[in-house]
Amino acid sequence: MDIKITEQADNLLKDNGVRKEEILDIIKNSESSGQKLKSKDGNTCIAKGASENLTIYAVYSASELLDVYTHKMNILGITGGEIKPVEYDDASDWICAKCGEVALERNVDMSYLGVTRPGPGLVCAKCGEMYVSAGMAKSTLKTAEAILEEKRA
Amino acid sequence: MEPISTVESLCPECLGKIGGIKYAENGQVYIKKECPDHGSFTTLISEDIGHYRQMEECFEVNRSRARASLTDVEKGCPFDCGLCPSHKQDTCLAVVEVTDRCDMGCAYCFASSSMDKSLDPDMETIRFMFETVKKCQNEPTCIQISGGEPTMRDDLPEIIRMGKEVGINHIELNTNGRRIASDQDYFDKIASAGIDAIYLGFDGVSDDIYMKRTGKKLFDIKSEVINRCEKAGIGVVLVPLVAKNYNLHEVGRIIEFAGSRVPTVRGVHFQPVFYSGRAPSGREGRITILELLREIEKQTRGQLKVENFTPSLMPHAHCGATCLTVIDSNGFLPLTNVSLGALKSASDVASKTKKSIMGRWRGSEKDAQKSSCGDLLIKSSCCEKPLSQLTVKGSCCEKPITDILPKNSRLGGGWADFIEMSRNSYLTISTMAFQDVWSYEKERVENCCIHVVTRDGRFVPFCNYNMTDCDGKFLYRNAT
Ligand code: SF4
Ligand code: SF4
Ligand SMILES: [Zn+2]
Repeated sequence: MDIKITEQADNLLKDNGVRKEEILDIIKNSESSGQKLKSKDGNTCIAKGASENLTIYAVYSASELLDVYTHKMNILGITGGEIKPVEYDDASDWICAKCGEVALERNVDMSYLGVTRPGPGLVCAKCGEMYVSAGMAKSTLKTAEAILEEKRA
Repeated sequence: MEPISTVESLCPECLGKIGGIKYAENGQVYIKKECPDHGSFTTLISEDIGHYRQMEECFEVNRSRARASLTDVEKGCPFDCGLCPSHKQDTCLAVVEVTDRCDMGCAYCFASSSMDKSLDPDMETIRFMFETVKKCQNEPTCIQISGGEPTMRDDLPEIIRMGKEVGINHIELNTNGRRIASDQDYFDKIASAGIDAIYLGFDGVSDDIYMKRTGKKLFDIKSEVINRCEKAGIGVVLVPLVAKNYNLHEVGRIIEFAGSRVPTVRGVHFQPVFYSGRAPSGREGRITILELLREIEKQTRGQLKVENFTPSLMPHAHCGATCLTVIDSNGFLPLTNVSLGALKSASDVASKTKKSIMGRWRGSEKDAQKSSCGDLLIKSSCCEKPLSQLTVKGSCCEKPITDILPKNSRLGGGWADFIEMSRNSYLTISTMAFQDVWSYEKERVENCCIHVVTRDGRFVPFCNYNMTDCDGKFLYRNAT
């Protein structure tokens, strides 16, 4: 797989403090293990990796790195400990590539600087893998992280 | 040329109903229309077809109609206002003009101003207008007292009190702020009469701007209004009229200023100049929504980007755009983004969400008592409703604030709650692109939710009310 990194994507990497080799590694690992989210049309994937205190996500197509986002929060697990049935439609637009299961929108507990709260995640009911969406990471989590850093500083 | 759709519009010369097409050319969007008697007219609607389409894709609304219509369908839209039975959207905000008088004499004002006190509607007429709103608008009822300059009236406190007696839930005052800043006693009376918010004309943060439009230095006056509202616990929305060669270069500083006065300042509502009534001839000052958003992006050094403005809370995808942003010591952290797409309707989650929102956004106990608005009200002009009173299946304007946040935040408010509890500093930045006779689209007005209440008790969509032909002759205002 030959993933192109455009100038724009490169800037995203820099903004997030992620190195090129790092992101390519994350993609490579996901591709070989199959542990990733795939969009329903199969054109876009999300791979997840970790470096020190950062969780890194790569959004990519077969040819190109489309987006990069990160969160410092640590995902502890499903809120409430297990996946119970809910009355609302919780299917996300993503599929766990390894299990072929539609990832569910469920609250997961996330912790940062000693504060733990639930927040929406994308969860595979079969293998239990948990992801955070770009929207959530870039807005809510980022804001919360900034507030905590300011408060605890 | 790539056709987009047909449009129903009006002739700028004769205000006759004419048809036309909307099309894209060189990446821009135009309306071209033809009057059999006056020829054809072409108007630029958007500089970027990509953005135009994105706004449409990101737009979703649950419409609800008004409780009662007041006129019949006779001559066809827009000549039957209203609301006539074919109007598709309930009132979000009813504008009640209590006087035509004004002490300012601005260069761009669309209200025709006189100084004749005897022409003001009397208390009985105003009560009738309020009662009409109570009768036709779904709960909660929201009124903006406007003019002219409403503070020209000494009996404004009684008018506000009467509105509350009639049972109007939210009453805000559209004002230039001069009397409020200078007459504390008058302001106290307005406050104790129960005014919920001040909609403050605020064109810039430097006196240069005010000198241009009014020949007066007004910045200190505007600040003083905010100070007084802060003490009284009344929220303020800054309302800059924006035009090229006027204050477009200052929009970023206006937003920064607003951020520095949060939470008293709840929002900034930019109103691009539109050409009706007393606006200068020629339309060179006119700007589109996209031009404004690009300026905001540039002047906030990318903190608020074009993509952070969504059509949520607007009655139509092209009537306006809204951005909700958190402010912290480092600047703005926008919570809205078009890339997050349209909202998924989630009916059964909705009632839960609503409950959590009602709790979440009600604000502190003290604030809740002070005004029905709670601490955080969406103050885009289409959405003046108190969030604590939202109904789920409502008009566009009754959408809970979390609906414009990333869809999945409706799952649970852990971190979102945390943010809200941690800081009280939010700003809603919005803009509405009023239509003029050139850009006019019937599809927009028939979905309009900003309605002017006439003295004989009808509702006229704001854009129709202020619509004129190219000579300044009104379609509705002063036409009765
Ligand atoms: S704008 Fe609304 S009320 Fe007026 S004529 Fe058209 S549909 Fe009827
Ligand atoms: S007042 Fe005009 S711009 Fe605003 S919602 Fe109504 S039609 Fe649209
Ligand atoms: Zn799986």
